[in-house]
Amino acid sequence: MKSLADVQNALLAGAVHFVLPEVVLVGTACLLFVLAVVYPRRTAAVGLALIGLTWAVALTYSVGSGETTAFWAFVEGTPYSPHLLAAIDPTGLAALIRWLALASGFIFVLLAWPEIQDHNAGEYLGCLLVMIAGSSLIGRVNDLVSLFLALEMVSIPTYVLLYLPLRGRGEQEAAVKYFLLSILSSGVLLFGFSYLYGLTGTTNLGALLAVLSAAHQHAITPMALIAILMVIAAFGFRISAVPFQFYAPDVYQGGPTGVVAQIAFIPKFIGFVALVRVLGLVIRPQDGLPFEASTTLIPLVLWVMAIVTMTFGNVLALLQDDLKRLLAYSGIAHSGYMLIGIVVACGLPGNSTPALSGVDATLFYLIAYGLMTVGAFALILYWNSQERPIRTIDNLGGLGESHPLSAALMTVFLFSLIGMPMTAGFAGKFMLFVSAFEAPVEPPMQNLYRILAVVAAVNAAIGAVYYLRIVGVMYLRDPLHPVSSARRAVLPLFAACLCAIGTVAFGVYPRLIADSTQQATPLVEVPGNAAVVARM
Amino acid sequence: MDNPLDTLRMMLLAVLALPLVCAVVTAAVGCCCPGLARRVALLLALIQLGLTGSLVFLAADTLVARAGWTLGTEATTTYFEPIAVPGDQGFGNNHLGQVHETTWSLLTFAPVPQGLPPAEVQFYVGLDGLNVWLVMLTSLMTVVAILISWEAIQTRPGAFYAWLFALQTGIIGAFVAFDAILFYVFFELTLIPSFFLIGYWGGGPARRDAAKKFFLYTLCGSLLTLVGIVGVVLTNPTPVVQHKDGPLAHYGPLVVAGQPVTLEEGPITFSIPRLMRNVQTWADYHAAQVQRSTESATRTPSAEAQQALTQAELTNDRHRAVQVCLFFLLMMGFAVKTPILPLHTWLPSAYGEAPIGMTLILAALLSKLGTFGILRVVIPLTPDAAFLYGLPVFGFLGAVGIVYAALCAFAQRDIKLLVAYSSVSHLGLIILGLFTLNREGLSGATLHMLNHGLSTGTLFALLAFLIDRYRTLDMRQYGGLIGRFPGFAFLLFVVCLASVGLPGLNNFISEMLMLAGLFEGQHTQTIGYGLAVAGTSGIILSAWYTMTMLKCVLFSPHQEPAPVGETPRDLNRREAVAFGVPAALCLLLGLYPQPVLDTIRPDTNVIVRCCDQARVRAGYEPSPAEVLVQPETDADALTVPPTAVPPLPVAP
Repeated sequence: MKSLADVQNALLAGAVHFVLPEVVLVGTACLLFVLAVVYPRRTAAVGLALIGLTWAVALTYSVGSGETTAFWAFVEGTPYSPHLLAAIDPTGLAALIRWLALASGFIFVLLAWPEIQDHNAGEYLGCLLVMIAGSSLIGRVNDLVSLFLALEMVSIPTYVLLYLPLRGRGEQEAAVKYFLLSILSSGVLLFGFSYLYGLTGTTNLGALLAVLSAAHQHAITPMALIAILMVIAAFGFRISAVPFQFYAPDVYQGGPTGVVAQIAFIPKFIGFVALVRVLGLVIRPQDGLPFEASTTLIPLVLWVMAIVTMTFGNVLALLQDDLKRLLAYSGIAHSGYMLIGIVVACGLPGNSTPALSGVDATLFYLIAYGLMTVGAFALILYWNSQERPIRTIDNLGGLGESHPLSAALMTVFLFSLIGMPMTAGFAGKFMLFVSAFEAPVEPPMQNLYRILAVVAAVNAAIGAVYYLRIVGVMYLRDPLHPVSSARRAVLPLFAACLCAIGTVAFGVYPRLIADSTQQATPLVEVPGNAAVVARM
Repeated sequence: MDNPLDTLRMMLLAVLALPLVCAVVTAAVGCCCPGLARRVALLLALIQLGLTGSLVFLAADTLVARAGWTLGTEATTTYFEPIAVPGDQGFGNNHLGQVHETTWSLLTFAPVPQGLPPAEVQFYVGLDGLNVWLVMLTSLMTVVAILISWEAIQTRPGAFYAWLFALQTGIIGAFVAFDAILFYVFFELTLIPSFFLIGYWGGGPARRDAAKKFFLYTLCGSLLTLVGIVGVVLTNPTPVVQHKDGPLAHYGPLVVAGQPVTLEEGPITFSIPRLMRNVQTWADYHAAQVQRSTESATRTPSAEAQQALTQAELTNDRHRAVQVCLFFLLMMGFAVKTPILPLHTWLPSAYGEAPIGMTLILAALLSKLGTFGILRVVIPLTPDAAFLYGLPVFGFLGAVGIVYAALCAFAQRDIKLLVAYSSVSHLGLIILGLFTLNREGLSGATLHMLNHGLSTGTLFALLAFLIDRYRTLDMRQYGGLIGRFPGFAFLLFVVCLASVGLPGLNNFISEMLMLAGLFEGQHTQTIGYGLAVAGTSGIILSAWYTMTMLKCVLFSPHQEPAPVGETPRDLNRREAVAFGVPAALCLLLGLYPQPVLDTIRPDTNVIVRCCDQARVRAGYEPSPAEVLVQPETDADALTVPPTAVPPLPVAP
């Protein structure tokens, strides 16, 4: 039989096989940085980035489910649970997250085209690929250190991307604001992580959670509460939940549209996935969650955060005239909806087999949100031009007649954001409602989940007001400015088409994606093998 | 295709999908050659009408046959059994039979053990007596709407007709859906075409606001309905008993071989027929638990028995309280859509600003979605709450609405708004009829949905005649049109009389049935009489304002506003068809409604039986045994059940 040290060494050595596509992406990014110096051409950079992405996709495809098999093979014949030992864990969410990251990568490369010039193409796309690699890693990291690494792989390129165009004061303000607050949140996160490490003596997430929940069987450690609140605050910045949302409207308004599309999706995406991992919602410790509703107030904190976030976002979005600011507040509101799934998952007892675990509803909504929001930004990018900039909602007047196809696509996204049936937005909201209603009605949360669903329904109705206003301006009003006849980049329109197809397809036949989100989030329980943990 | 049911299934799918195809084709034609769009749209709508007609014709026999004249046991079902369900696998591998359920899933939740119904949202559509005539009405009224928009819509006609077809898809889909979520999806989808039809092609300066108001108002209501639907689904999972082979769904008696059955919560389901059974089973189960604990507590008084009784009572009360909450949540969306009185404030602007073709659809079809939702979703899924609170709350609101809207109609000077308010008044009567929850009231209300759609729709269509010629509907500017346009005046007169409820025309029969239902009540005595008086006064008031309008427009000294274009002529051929055919149908349905009633009755009886159980659970006497009516001996009768056959023995 292999000893514990053997297993640990084998897992450490084998970890590189679980991150091959990410290695390819980062490698391509390095090549791009070099290329930017040697041969600064936009087409070459985009071509190279696409090659890198395609290679990563091919690798992901060829690996298939082999990763999981290999992962379990390391511990075959031993009593150890790999979730407690490995730094990279390719089970559960990992595969789906990687596919999503790669798919979003293609969309963002398409969106990048009109915003990059020959002189900054290499840097722009290199940073983008590193971000994609980081967000793909988030799904599979199982260690505080590698988790932080993956998060920073997303944050640091974002600063560069925001600084790259350097056109006006607004953009600089956005970049500085994002930079400072992001650094702050990373610091807070590290602070929380250090407490967690100090309490448990391990950086492995699975082991850490197992120790915490075993300890919480007897008494709650106040230090752990402080630590997890810090962590939630730091992730709250990334998902722009109230009260950590202040940067969002300014950054969205000031930043270059293509980058803002990335900021609107990728940090939320990784923030939610990381939150799910750190709270132990997918790979659950056997002794129950470390921060259960029955023992701690953490789920209640998230509950309050969800309600305040969605209401705040929706109400303030009502007042906006600037299109990108409006989308920022709408993004905040949608984060509130997505928090519902997290809250629900925090309240599920260990042995339950619900129809929806909450996390899968959140994941589905994340995908839907990504499709519709990125699609909307793609269209803003498409319509925007030097002589006819798109800033306020009124700039969209009469687009229904002048640009019938793109206006129709925008309408699809807006109706999906409202949550009209036959769009992914509806399927996502529906799943969140179901998960909230299905959560157990027991003390101490009692009817709070159902109240959450009702508040979300009322919020969806409030949200409809401002989305419908945009539809009304596009179709029911005459154009205020003459249509510019300038040649437009078609690639953003193509990206928007892809997003719209996804929005409608996942709305009409949600099983296309819902089956995979459900398979990716089984309620796996990890035995709290205290002996293993203690020896580490 | 050797199985006739397969043909029906294919036809139903075609009826549902064809309008969508029509929308795409019309939009494409509208882009290429706008001049052709009208003709193409009319042709496609006629094809759709023919298809729907043949579907209804083929299905009608099967629907009537289900009433249980041949198989006595069938007449005791308390859940819907739609026919022509696409994806119905039949019994075993035998395609000849049907299980009235589908296997086409749209969204699957957790996996379910073998033998239990799957926890999934399904593409579950079918036909039964409640929806078959409304589907027919939808196809007919779309043709009428296309005909009357012929000249009124000059900007982008292709897009207008495309949205009209999209709207038709939504309406037909909501009528034929048997999955709660699928119903909601179609119900909600009607908002998007309505928004564009009112906002873009509307007549007045406030059309954008009217469109937004309509959209947001309806969305608010229907989101609460969605919460209600999810609530019903999750509080009523499939009841399951543990069997030696594994869990089994259990809908049978609650006492087997002297032993009480212990039910467990199984997988959730979204199918309306299954939900009906689940709702009834759980309500019965909780009531039976209370009864059993009471018995044991009186037989052997002890602290434990008392505690068990308290527990059982608590569970039962909580279950009922939840159902009452869900009932009000479910009603919200439908109350807005219908509209029921305090929620009607979107109506004047939407009806007033919409183009006349859209107003027709709003009044004839979209308002029916509201009442149909009550019939299909609210009453079957929350029968106990509907029995307790339906008539006292919504019946009262409906009665107030009847009188209030009638008075409003009398005060209007714009004929369009007058007809709009008269429509609200009549819809109040439908609400009353629905919540009587007895045979007469429910079949009357279901029939009145068809009749009201026909007569009010035709009334709005007739207004298009005046709009096309004079661009105004101000009553004070018209007078003595009977000499000027005899053909128009005749049709207007006939349809107004139908709307008032003259015997021999269609509304009379259904209104009488609903009033009979109100007067009949054993459970509705005091309140029922008051509401029946309100309903009757509504009919009298409707005669008052309609006749005033007719007197003003047709008979007072001749005057007319300045015409648009050349000298106006009487009905042309297009208009004669658009107004004449529905008016003729009003007459036909007034003279011989029995075939329609025969198809409706089996399914209204299902709801009645379902509500009777709720009545028993609430501690009232069960209603008298069902009287089976044989249609063959009943050739000329209007409403009176002719021969009373003793009730068939109920299978144990």
